[in-house]
Parts: sequence; C-alpha cells; structure tokens
Amino acid sequence: MSANHNRPLSEVEIRVKALESLLVEKGLVDPAAVDALIDNYEHKVGPRNGARVVARAWVDPAYRERLLADGTRAIAELGYSGIQGEDMVVVANTPDTHNVIVCTLCSCYPWPTLGLPPVWFKSAPYRSRVVSDPRGVLKEFGLAVPAEKRVRVWDSTAELRYMVLPERPPGTEALSEDELAALVTRDSMIGVAEVKGVTA
Amino acid sequence: MAINASQAMAATLTGATARMETPVAPRFKAGDRVRMRNLNPPSHTRLPRYIKGKVGVIERDHGVFVYPDTHAAHQGEKPQHVYVVRFASTELWGPQGSANDELLVDVWDDYMDAAP
Amino acid sequence: MNGVHDLGGMHGLGPIVIEKDEPVFHHEWERRVFGMFLPVFATGAFNIDEFRHAIERMGPEYLQTSYYEHWLAAFETLLEEKGMISAEEFSARRARIAEEAR
Repeated sequence: MSANHNRPLSEVEIRVKALESLLVEKGLVDPAAVDALIDNYEHKVGPRNGARVVARAWVDPAYRERLLADGTRAIAELGYSGIQGEDMVVVANTPDTHNVIVCTLCSCYPWPTLGLPPVWFKSAPYRSRVVSDPRGVLKEFGLAVPAEKRVRVWDSTAELRYMVLPERPPGTEALSEDELAALVTRDSMIGVAEVKGVTA
Repeated sequence: MAINASQAMAATLTGATARMETPVAPRFKAGDRVRMRNLNPPSHTRLPRYIKGKVGVIERDHGVFVYPDTHAAHQGEKPQHVYVVRFASTELWGPQGSANDELLVDVWDDYMDAAP
Repeated sequence: MNGVHDLGGMHGLGPIVIEKDEPVFHHEWERRVFGMFLPVFATGAFNIDEFRHAIERMGPEYLQTSYYEHWLAAFETLLEEKGMISAEEFSARRARIAEEAR
C-alpha cells in the first residue's frame, strides 16, 4: 500500500508527494477526494461494465439498435455514464468489418465502460502502428483478420469515446445474459481481440 | 475550495462534456468529400500530422463541440461541428496502405475544406 | 503543435509490450497522480485542452516517460504557469521530503 520506508524515495515519488502536499496545504485538493477517486477506478469501474452493455446488445436487438444510434444514451440505460464517456460511440463488428480503436495523440479511452486503459494502449508502439498497419498489430495480439474483411481503425482525436461491439461467438445460443457478459473481454471492446465462445 | 470526496464522486458521474448546445450550422454533411487543411500551429491542435492535406469522406456528423485549438489558448470555445472523416488506407499510406482498410478520424469543421 | 506526441504512422518506436493481467496502477505514486486529476481540474486552474498541450510541450522526454509521469509534468507546469505553486515552493518541498525520507 504505502512506499517501503526502508529505501530512498525515487525522484518521481518525491515530486508527487511534494505536489500533493502543497495542493492540500493550499486548500486546493482534499486528500479524501483523491482516495475516493483512486478506489473507484481501481476497484469499481472496469470492463465488466462494457461487457454488460455488449451482452445486452447481443440478446436484445432493439437495444443493439439504440446502442449503435446513440451510444451515450443506451449505455446510460445500464447505469454507466460520466467522465471520459460523456459522448459515446459504439461501432459494431460484422462479418465484413472489424473495428479497432486508438487515440494516436494521447490515450483517450471510455472510462465508464472499460475503466482505465492498459499501458500498451497508451504507449507509442500501439498508437503509432495500429493506424498504418492494423492487421500486423492485430496479428501480434493473436487475431488474424481475413483479407476479404475490411478493417476500420477509429482514432479518437476529439471528445467522443469509442468502444467496439464485438460479434457474438457461435454456439452461445443457450447462454444467459450474465454468462454472455462473462465471455466479453476488454480487448474485444478495444478491437484487438474477438470474443471466444465456450468450448464444449 | 477543494472538492470533497462526495463531490468528486458526483463529478465522475456527471462528467464534463465538450458538447455544446449552441446552434451552429454544419459546413459538411455525410457523403461530402473533404480535404484536411495543412495547419501547423505551434499551439494546441487535434489535427494529426498523418491526415494533413489528405482527402476523405464525411462519414457522420457528431454535432457541436468546443474547439480545442482556441480553448487551449484561452481564445474561446468557438463551437463547431465535429465529424467522422473516413480515409482509405492507401490515401494515407500510399502503396504501404491496405486496399480494404479505412481510417476514421474525428475532425473539427475548421480543419477541413470541401474537395469537389 | 507538431509535437512528439503526434505518433500516428511513425515507425521504429518498438514492440507492443503486453503485461498479462496488468494491475490498474503499478506504483502508489501513480494512484496519487491519477486521484489528483479531477480535484485539480475542479479548481478551474486550467482546462483539458491546456492540460493536453502541457503534455505535448514536454518534448523528447515524452517518449522516455510513462503515462502518469506525463500527467505529473503537466500539473507541475500548469500550476506554476498559473501562479498557483511557485518553482521555489516546489523545490523547497521536494528538498524537505527527500531529507525526511533519508
């Protein structure tokens, strides 16, 4: 939890402690607010939210239509909304199109549905390469997109936040909505993976 | 005054949308061909280098949003439409592009001209 | 700006490194930086576009530092530029913390 006091603090740790203590002293930041936000995004908000959205879209065609027409409103129906997800766009994978999301300029990511982004999404290699060689990048993630299929790369340069509605895998007809949600991975909602079905 | 924990949590749910209610006429509509301007300001912009001067097609109009170029410089919100612009991979990457693939980038009105 | 952050299409930036079951935060200091984001914005000191521009102004160091180090640099830069925390206050506090940790 807290730093090991038996080793010297790194420069970054010193800078962070200095920043927070000065902000608190000047009455600009309440450390309890900092604590609450950490707890919320470390333990409460995460891709299980987006998985529920995906599962709902799979079982309810009218919901799917609403989701693709107005992502913000449909996602809010399930109780997810707010910071870094105020304006949501959901893009659907189909038999002829595979979608993948990036933010080349920084690391924009839909927090209410997917939580905080993984390091690779925020890093230079992914951000630089997925726009010019998406198929190569997807192959590195273990996903080979057939040549006949179209790949669409969405670069979230503005304040719209994107997520992919992956295709429902075959052989899942008998699963409940909760069981379907459990199959949906974060990576499938970014677009670097597909959702795998249940193996018999 | 510092926001407290419950105010902070409330703020995470309301968020801070950049969408604006100001009625502004769009300059483009879905299906229009557009060329990205060759803008190179030293100040903040969200026009990426890799689409400057390139031609795409308006895929969708997201509506009216704050314009970051002026907002970052305290020169006002300058509300305007933001669109999804669709680029062919080969348009952006030449022969290294892929015939089947597309890039879809969010672009502000002020970043583009019509490309008849 | 035509900054180093504008990465789309660049080559030679290395392999995509994937950490399996990566934790949300790798260090306690990352947690604190993340948690300060919303409270600092709530002070009205700067807007999100200024924040991004401050990160873009990091220059080549941007590529050698991690995501939350970018946020930290932006907070420090902007709070100083806005006159809310002076360079002297930062250095004095850092020196004191370093001393106390000895």
